[in-house]
Amino acid sequence: MYSINLWINEERYDKLNQVGLANVAKDVLAGMKVLKLQCTKEQKDRILQFYPMAKFDSATTRSIELLPAEAKDKMFNLVIKKGNLDIIEEFFESIS
Amino acid sequence: MRYGGHGGREIVDRVIASPSEAKDSIKGLKQIAITGRIARECINIAYGFFTPLEGFMGRADVEAVCKKMTLVNGILWPIPIVFDISKEEINEKGIKKGDTVLLVYQDKALATLEVEQIFSYDKTKIAQSVLGTTDAKHPGVRILHEMGDKFIGGKVTLVNTPRFNPPFDKFWYTPKEMRERFAERGWQRIVAHQTRNVPHSGHEWLMKGAWFSANGELPVEKLQTGILVSCIIGPKRVGDYIDEAIVLGHQVLHEARYFRDDIHMVSIALWDMRYAGPKEAIFHAILRENLGCTHHMFGRDHAGVGTYYDPYDAHRIFDQIPEASLNIKPIRILEWWYCPICGEVTYSGLCGHSQEKQAFSGTMIRSMIQDKVKPTKLIFRPEVFDNLMKCTNEYGFGSPFCTEEYLSKRQPIFELPIL
Repeated sequence: MYSINLWINEERYDKLNQVGLANVAKDVLAGMKVLKLQCTKEQKDRILQFYPMAKFDSATTRSIELLPAEAKDKMFNLVIKKGNLDIIEEFFESIS
Repeated sequence: MRYGGHGGREIVDRVIASPSEAKDSIKGLKQIAITGRIARECINIAYGFFTPLEGFMGRADVEAVCKKMTLVNGILWPIPIVFDISKEEINEKGIKKGDTVLLVYQDKALATLEVEQIFSYDKTKIAQSVLGTTDAKHPGVRILHEMGDKFIGGKVTLVNTPRFNPPFDKFWYTPKEMRERFAERGWQRIVAHQTRNVPHSGHEWLMKGAWFSANGELPVEKLQTGILVSCIIGPKRVGDYIDEAIVLGHQVLHEARYFRDDIHMVSIALWDMRYAGPKEAIFHAILRENLGCTHHMFGRDHAGVGTYYDPYDAHRIFDQIPEASLNIKPIRILEWWYCPICGEVTYSGLCGHSQEKQAFSGTMIRSMIQDKVKPTKLIFRPEVFDNLMKCTNEYGFGSPFCTEEYLSKRQPIFELPIL
């Protein structure tokens, strides 16, 4: 599996809390948390094709980096709307 | 006011301030177009940032720097400052010893160079002795490889005064002006913080810790110790923070009163980093000694790159030089980290929760900024973040980090008037 890291500050944490997902975010630095969205190889390749400026960091984090902030905002909003982390297909629908 | 600089020498001042006198001095001179690095170094030499250097080094000085880390006269100096040129240009323009040539930057006259010596020097030897490596991937080695195959040694005189564009104009001080500012503020001790970063809380605490060290036994009712933030302005690469955000980000720290206005000051210094690790640490100390600083903080991996140096090599090198060779004291600092047990940003030399620590990672913070997610207050001051976003729109063409667009379209840091 491959991941996309969504940064969670206090404001986003409150929203996650409201949909019962607060405990899924992992604390990494001084209250700043990260939410890891998982995707398959096929989904990863589609994302990289759609956002050519993004890169897959195969050496360290095995996550997709340098996605535009707007794309990540959209992903976060889908997580809140759906109430779970399985949102990659919905994300593709929203951008196609 | 006395302007004593490095090596016990008076601060070098080789600037012709009068435009008419400058115009007369350059009449009929052969011209050499120079790179940004050489232009920045001419400015540094002429205003005394590189005191006691009065010009670009000759062969004997380069040799002494490489072999003994001193100038020929025995004054501590770790990095050769050389004027490079191609053999072809020397021949084509008929440049010879005894000439004075006009150095032209972006089609404008900048300085004159008295040709005292034309020489060659093995650049691989410089790389090995100064950078400790000849690996072409090292950015300092790359700078050397990009240089022409000949060097000209000789005195430099600035004939045209650079005009700094906003927002940099508010932060540019020559060594003499800087000392006047320090005197106005009544600072007896000044601790320099060298930076190429938008400050996060780890940097802020680095400065605060260094201030405590520098202030030492001085009375505290009326503070006489200041922090000089010295932002390095030089060539940028895609992905670096934009210069405007760095300088203004530090300024915001005292505007938002995370530092008192009377103990914190932001400035810029022109320098093309060689990433020479320990030797560059010595160089930074000399640069700030010439600015009038009494202390210089050195954190983990100062001026390092990749894995070429141990993270604390830049601390240890100060044990290898005679104390009297520098008139500025190094303040050696370990890491500041966030401790979830202590619930605060704390110092690794004090906090025992090393297993639970959460280290400040520049990469992690950059990733948050890239996502435009405002980090928590403990990591990044909200005012600094807001300023970063403002700079993104105002100067960064929509990005807080350098992009190809920023690098090609940005307003230059300084410009030269037509003489």
